[in-house]
Amino acid sequence: MLHWIQYVKGYVSIKVWGYSTERFLNLCGNHDILVWDIENHGDYYTMKVSVKGFFALKSLLKKTGTRAVVLQRYGLPFFVPKMKKRKIFVTGLLICMLFWILTGFFIWDIKIEGNYSLTEDVLMDYLETQGVHTAMRKKNLQIEELEMQLREEYDIITWASLRVDGTTLVIQIRENELADNEYNSQPEAENVEPGFDAASGKDIVASKDGVIVYMITRKGVPQVAVGDTVEKGQILVSGAVPVYNEDTTIRRYQYYEADADIMIMYEKSLCVERKTAWQDKEYSGREKNILLLGFQDKEWNLSAGKVKFETYDVSGEKKQVQLLDHLFLPVFYGVKQAKEYTLVPKVHTEEEMQQIMEEEWNKILQTLDEKSVQIIEKNVTINKNREFWVLNAHMQLMEEAIQTVPNTTEQIPVTEREEEVSTE
Amino acid sequence: MLGDSIVTVTGNREAFIENYKGILEYTKESIVLQGKNCRISFQGKKLSIEYYTNEDMKIGGYIECVRYF
Repeated sequence: MLHWIQYVKGYVSIKVWGYSTERFLNLCGNHDILVWDIENHGDYYTMKVSVKGFFALKSLLKKTGTRAVVLQRYGLPFFVPKMKKRKIFVTGLLICMLFWILTGFFIWDIKIEGNYSLTEDVLMDYLETQGVHTAMRKKNLQIEELEMQLREEYDIITWASLRVDGTTLVIQIRENELADNEYNSQPEAENVEPGFDAASGKDIVASKDGVIVYMITRKGVPQVAVGDTVEKGQILVSGAVPVYNEDTTIRRYQYYEADADIMIMYEKSLCVERKTAWQDKEYSGREKNILLLGFQDKEWNLSAGKVKFETYDVSGEKKQVQLLDHLFLPVFYGVKQAKEYTLVPKVHTEEEMQQIMEEEWNKILQTLDEKSVQIIEKNVTINKNREFWVLNAHMQLMEEAIQTVPNTTEQIPVTEREEEVSTE
Repeated sequence: MLGDSIVTVTGNREAFIENYKGILEYTKESIVLQGKNCRISFQGKKLSIEYYTNEDMKIGGYIECVRYF
């Protein structure tokens, strides 16, 4: 604190030498002139004294037969006049400070943490629609409202927290770990009483045409049996369980979420065609570096001249200007490399084509495996000619091709039921 | 006693002196002060006066000996 006061008032470092410097120091004390950092250098002393004090030293110097010279000036009274001469520097400094202060009012980066199934792009697009984007004013950010909107928009988000860290908006979310239908169906399966409202039930329908080869119903009324041929969309298990009257007429329905393991066998044909001719890129080795400068979504090439190559690949990286850990500016820079190439027509050899077709077939198998589709029977043929190789696959597949849809069986109206009861 | 000098020494690195009349000698190895009733001598190495006013002063450096005479 004292140091700041001294800086504001201004002080000087002086060199004192002569006949009786100790007496000079004593007189300084007696005249209430504060001196500090007094150092003995043998022949002379150096010390610091306030500007006001320095002007009061004159008589003391005379009295003690000492001499003093100013070595260095410190403080605001010396700094300001110096700065007056350096107007451009001061202006630059002020503009810089203003720039820093102004940029602090904006969001320059958005970070999303904790998302697994929701991609960053999806969330970013959603935020964009809500008016949240980089270079937006911090003031316009409604954090609590946005947290609520995120939870409402995506059922999978069970918790969302937003905070502004410097100029970065950090969005932390937690996703529901249970699968959506599993999560929703659980309470119903456990202890919820069967409903009489038609909307509360769910049916199982076929999602593919085929033949039922396996079926175990846990909940609901089976509408088909093993060996039946079903069509896509046909109800396999109905969630509407009828309650019968004594005369075996239906009194009403109780609605459940139908649950069953059903395997459907169906046939599928695939055809993959690959050309034997292809074009290879032969790089000439000629490259051109292009300097980039970007602002938000715009991009400018800084390098002089256009790329003269006829065909070329462009690769490179862009970096965002980062001032502090979380202070990102919407300014990008980077280098792109244009590599010239020429297209050379080539023809795959038989071995290569064999390998390509094998890869294609493996891809098909992998896709089926990922979807838990079992292959019962397959017939794969490869037809070759000079230009094409064609892979024909005829397969008999088995999978749990079912879908859960809202119930379609309507409840018997109450009046009808009452009439029936009354007639009984 | 009224007017006696007060010397506060912290470790061997600094000394704080109140109630003195003036400096008699000041070198890097020795600082001699005049009190009301006696003189105080500080012997050591790299001695320096950090500040100096009419009421008090502070001595820095490696103090080896404080002597009253």
